[in-house]
Amino acid sequence: MKRLILLSVALLAVICSRAQSDSVPPLRPVTAAYMLQAGSSSVADSYLSPLTYRGWSAAFAYERMQAMKFDPDNWVMRLDARIELDRGRNYARNATSWRIDALFSWGMMHRWRLTPALTLAAGASTAINGGCIYNPRNSNNPASAKLAWTVGATGYAAYNLRIGRLPLTLRYQPDLPLAGLFFSPEYDELYYEIYLGNHDGLVHFAWPGNRFAMTHLLTADLHFGATSLRLGYRALTFSSKANNLVTNIYTHAFVIGISGEWLSLSQRHSLSRDARIISALY
Amino acid sequence: MKRLLNLILPLLTLIIAGACHEIPQYADNPRGNFDALWRTIDEHYCFFREKNIDWDDVYARYSPMVSDKMTQEELFIVCAQMLDELRDGHVNLSSSFNTSYYRKWWSDYPQNFNERIIEEHYFNFNYRQTGSVIYGILTPNIGYMRISSLAYSIGEGNLDNILYYLRTCDGLIIDLRDNGGGAMTAVETIVSRFITERTLAGYISHKTGPGHDDFSEPYPYYYEPAAQGRILWGKPVAVLTNRSTFSAANNLVSLMKLLPSVSIVGATTGGGSGMPFSSELPNGWGIRFSAAPVLDPLGNTTEFGIEPTEGCAVDLDPQAALSGHDTILDFAITHLSN
Repeated sequence: MKRLILLSVALLAVICSRAQSDSVPPLRPVTAAYMLQAGSSSVADSYLSPLTYRGWSAAFAYERMQAMKFDPDNWVMRLDARIELDRGRNYARNATSWRIDALFSWGMMHRWRLTPALTLAAGASTAINGGCIYNPRNSNNPASAKLAWTVGATGYAAYNLRIGRLPLTLRYQPDLPLAGLFFSPEYDELYYEIYLGNHDGLVHFAWPGNRFAMTHLLTADLHFGATSLRLGYRALTFSSKANNLVTNIYTHAFVIGISGEWLSLSQRHSLSRDARIISALY
Repeated sequence: MKRLLNLILPLLTLIIAGACHEIPQYADNPRGNFDALWRTIDEHYCFFREKNIDWDDVYARYSPMVSDKMTQEELFIVCAQMLDELRDGHVNLSSSFNTSYYRKWWSDYPQNFNERIIEEHYFNFNYRQTGSVIYGILTPNIGYMRISSLAYSIGEGNLDNILYYLRTCDGLIIDLRDNGGGAMTAVETIVSRFITERTLAGYISHKTGPGHDDFSEPYPYYYEPAAQGRILWGKPVAVLTNRSTFSAANNLVSLMKLLPSVSIVGATTGGGSGMPFSSELPNGWGIRFSAAPVLDPLGNTTEFGIEPTEGCAVDLDPQAALSGHDTILDFAITHLSN
């Protein structure tokens, strides 16, 4: 009996302690990364030219991940902002084209910690991106504007390991828009005609069959103390067809950046020693 | 789970395979470049019907001239001759050693213009100039402005100064001879000084696909009068034209002709009503071609030129020119003075 009472008291103590711990909101650090990209591009836009322009690709990207407040153990959000610049030359190397594109994407993913080291996540994201491909050689069709709003699928697989004494996090994150709206001029329509007010046939429902835009991101975050060095690779495969106009864009880029986890501290809310820290990625 | 994968995987494969859209590619050799040129024109040129051109027949006639042993110069000649079949001043083939032009649209006609006669014998070289516009007052009290190009927009302030300087004149001559065109926005800037209300300026259309008859419905577009505070012109106007009045200048004439108190004086314009697009061949040669037809406010094509106002068709008399007389200009002065 004495043993039973002791066990009950111990159990109660654990439950109380757990309850006390749960009453303290967990800390949800922001995993932020600033990245530079450099690599190659292949761009063809039949509104401008049937030829493919090949050259370099560069980008600056910002990524932010955080566990969601409503269920921080299982849900994370991801914000991805990126601006890309490509320059390519045609096969004859007597003309140049430029591509600039800005993307802002926000997504939410459910994650499963399959093992202490391996996490899988899947969810949805919505993105706005806009830019243009510019070919200064052309007269009345020098630019092809790109504008889209999409919703799609995203997810990641992250694996924590050590190489020697260095901890690192490997991640693969694909992103595939599945539906949305995008802009395309008609086949030989001048932007001047659009300027004059003819807006027919410019907006299209997007699905992967007419606007396929898949991004693959592979990263390795090497944790040197509070800040991590991010090395990675990003590939974009884009192919669209609307109004008999085809655009194909392929980029492969090496990624380098810094990442880390940051906590916003408030003077009004002091940190509790009992608060759990729930990381979004690491 | 297996059943689900059996459904998803083929669907995903189908989507990814269908999602990669191809742009037809041609080899960078004489045959490939010739075929690429023919195909580009076939799919994008906009006046096959108006000009009754059988483009397949053109291929059948020119294709045998192409050989993989021919030089770039020889290929250029064959390609340029094929493009001449389009009889279009907006069609060019550009290489590093030559640019092809179809010149018969103006070379088969009298030029009807000699700038020097006006500058010397009418102004004694004492005219005013701003940008691409020269202007002054002719005897007896007729304003004159020559717009040599629309490649650069004429500033609103420049137009104010010109029209203010000529405000006391009884009429205005706008000389568009030898004006090869330029920007449509420059047309709007000029026309806005001669209208007092929103005015139908014409219709614009474009190809919607590669078929020869794939066109959008002509879209009407309108011009507004110049903003309040700008100087408008309401007195009689004579617009001088010759065969080299082309493209955007041709469009300007098509609008001016339908305005009250405006006469078109001189010769039929050169046309050029298709807004040109650009493309290129695998070897890097540039192509320019008419792709988007612009119609006049009555819905008619002006690709073949615009005739002068009835009773105002005049040629420049070469004999009179020798003694310093521009008979087209003289006609316009008399027309406005009366």
